[in-house]
Amino acid sequence: MKCFSRYLPYIFRPPNTILSCSCHTEADIISTVEFNHTGELLATGDKGGRVVIFQREQESKNQPHRRGEYNVYSTFQSHEPEFDYLKSLEIEEKINKIRWLPQQNAAYFLLSTNDKTVKLWKVSERDKRPEGYNLKDEDGRLRDPSMITMLRVPVLRPMDLMVEATPRRVFANAHTYHINSISVNSDYETYMSADDLRINLWNFEITNQSFNIVDIKPANMEELTEVITAAEFHPHHCNTFVYSSSKGTIRLCDMRASALCDRHSKFFEEPEDPSNRSFFSEIISSISDVKFSHSGRYIMTRDYLTVKVWDLNMENRPIETYQVHDYLRSKLCSLYENDCIFDKFECVWNGSDSVIMTGSYNNFFRMFDRNTKRDVTLEASRENSKPRAILKPRKVCVGGKRRKDEISVDSLDFSKKILHTAWHPSENIIAVAATNNLYIFQDKVN
Amino acid sequence: FSRRRERAARGLGAGGAMEFRLEAHRIVSISLGKIYSARGQRGGLKLHKNLLVSLVLRSARRVYLGEPGGECALPPRPGPPPPPDCERLRRGCRPLASEAAARGRPECPAESPRKRSAAERDPAAGYPGKKPRRETEQPPPQEDMETGNVASLISIFGSGFSGLLGKERGAAEATEPGQVCCEQPVLRSLNPWSTAIVAF
Repeated sequence: MKCFSRYLPYIFRPPNTILSCSCHTEADIISTVEFNHTGELLATGDKGGRVVIFQREQESKNQPHRRGEYNVYSTFQSHEPEFDYLKSLEIEEKINKIRWLPQQNAAYFLLSTNDKTVKLWKVSERDKRPEGYNLKDEDGRLRDPSMITMLRVPVLRPMDLMVEATPRRVFANAHTYHINSISVNSDYETYMSADDLRINLWNFEITNQSFNIVDIKPANMEELTEVITAAEFHPHHCNTFVYSSSKGTIRLCDMRASALCDRHSKFFEEPEDPSNRSFFSEIISSISDVKFSHSGRYIMTRDYLTVKVWDLNMENRPIETYQVHDYLRSKLCSLYENDCIFDKFECVWNGSDSVIMTGSYNNFFRMFDRNTKRDVTLEASRENSKPRAILKPRKVCVGGKRRKDEISVDSLDFSKKILHTAWHPSENIIAVAATNNLYIFQDKVN
Repeated sequence: FSRRRERAARGLGAGGAMEFRLEAHRIVSISLGKIYSARGQRGGLKLHKNLLVSLVLRSARRVYLGEPGGECALPPRPGPPPPPDCERLRRGCRPLASEAAARGRPECPAESPRKRSAAERDPAAGYPGKKPRRETEQPPPQEDMETGNVASLISIFGSGFSGLLGKERGAAEATEPGQVCCEQPVLRSLNPWSTAIVAF
């Protein structure tokens, strides 16, 4: 774990935020973070429906000690608030998830979704523009044809680099409930979108229809006992996907078995520990995120207090369980009262599947090394993050004498939560979203 | 955070059973408040959160009314671990680790211990989890979210809980005479609360 005790922090703020943390606007709260497949680009979505893409600078020979920093590459408004007049419902513009497509040409493609609509965006560069039209002048105004005495061929001339984002597809009207996940298939032709009760399969080229592949809506809504909380395609097998539920279970489905994958191929569930039972056992067992490992052999799930790693070949219990903030177990009643118990934390793998990371409160985030079984708590905060500073491990004191530098459970700030993090696909670079601030940390370079 | 409250939520501490029921009462009122305030939320009712709140509400209500199935929410009493309880499993409690190990035992009927829908098999619960109300003039092809008219949901609880008082008195009489004095403060504090619920 030695590489994780040293970090070079860079702080990026999305545009239009007020400098001081305490008076940011609600719209600036980051709601999703995702690296693309090469790690060259990092996309964030926020509650205001905006997407900001950062691009890593090419490493320069002049400043070899500064490995590529991430700078703003493109900003665009992905979703706007909408109103469903029939149901008298406002549809939030908050970006729930962003997923990149693998790059197949010079342009970049990503999917972004709010509660109801998925959009495919094309992000492309323009560094040349045509000049010398015959029928219009440089401002675009039409010229009087009778004034044209000679013909010329328009030429492309260099211009300042412009990055433009255009919506290429809009996949709408397919979800009655709120979309919580999108996942691009390894065939790169299809993707799925999941809401509380249904999962739909889309073809990128077709926007006016989708296949429903999972439907757990009961005939009588009074019998509803669980909802879908997250879904993801297998990284290599285009017929396989998993979805997690609010009851702490994971189902693996094979699309070759039938058109409607209501019957799972595998069912992952851990029996309950009776000594931990309380009124809130059901809430804290609800899975907030599920992620396949890069190898495709394991899945990781996040519930309120733990992260679990499951082997696809063993359904009756996880192979590893990591306590994220077990000191909260005795505070569940208060966390229910202030709604924190409903926070949906995400979890991520590093590129080699050897380390997993997830967020907590007080702007803390945790990393667990699966091989050495060591873990570390780090903090994303302005005070601790001067450029080229090293992140100091933090510790929460759970009772008894509090040592210097430790923080007691009662002093934790529950309004500062890290729900969204991302790990570069091949390097030790992490992106951590703390409310409206994005922190990017890198492994220290000697 | 109130440590005493938290311990009560886990059924521990002195006068554990009494504290536990008071805590259940408190959780019921918090849960109803959440369901009510969810009405005005931007983006519409969140099905997931409301389902979780309704599950907590159901557990707390069962404990408070002493209904079967309420013990699902309670940690087990100290002592030797109980044998696999088919009855408990049929009521929809999740399988325990010890039960999972003994899953092949012949005494338990063929019914899978992993049954999910407790509401189906526990008619005593009364509380459905979600009471859908179709909006009037909803055209058939348009699917309703069916998260329901929350006002009607609250009135259902109102009727359920105004009956609570009557049941409470009955329960109090059934206990030892010495205990009746303990129950009185609880009943008194119940009154303004149940009035507020009906007013919703």
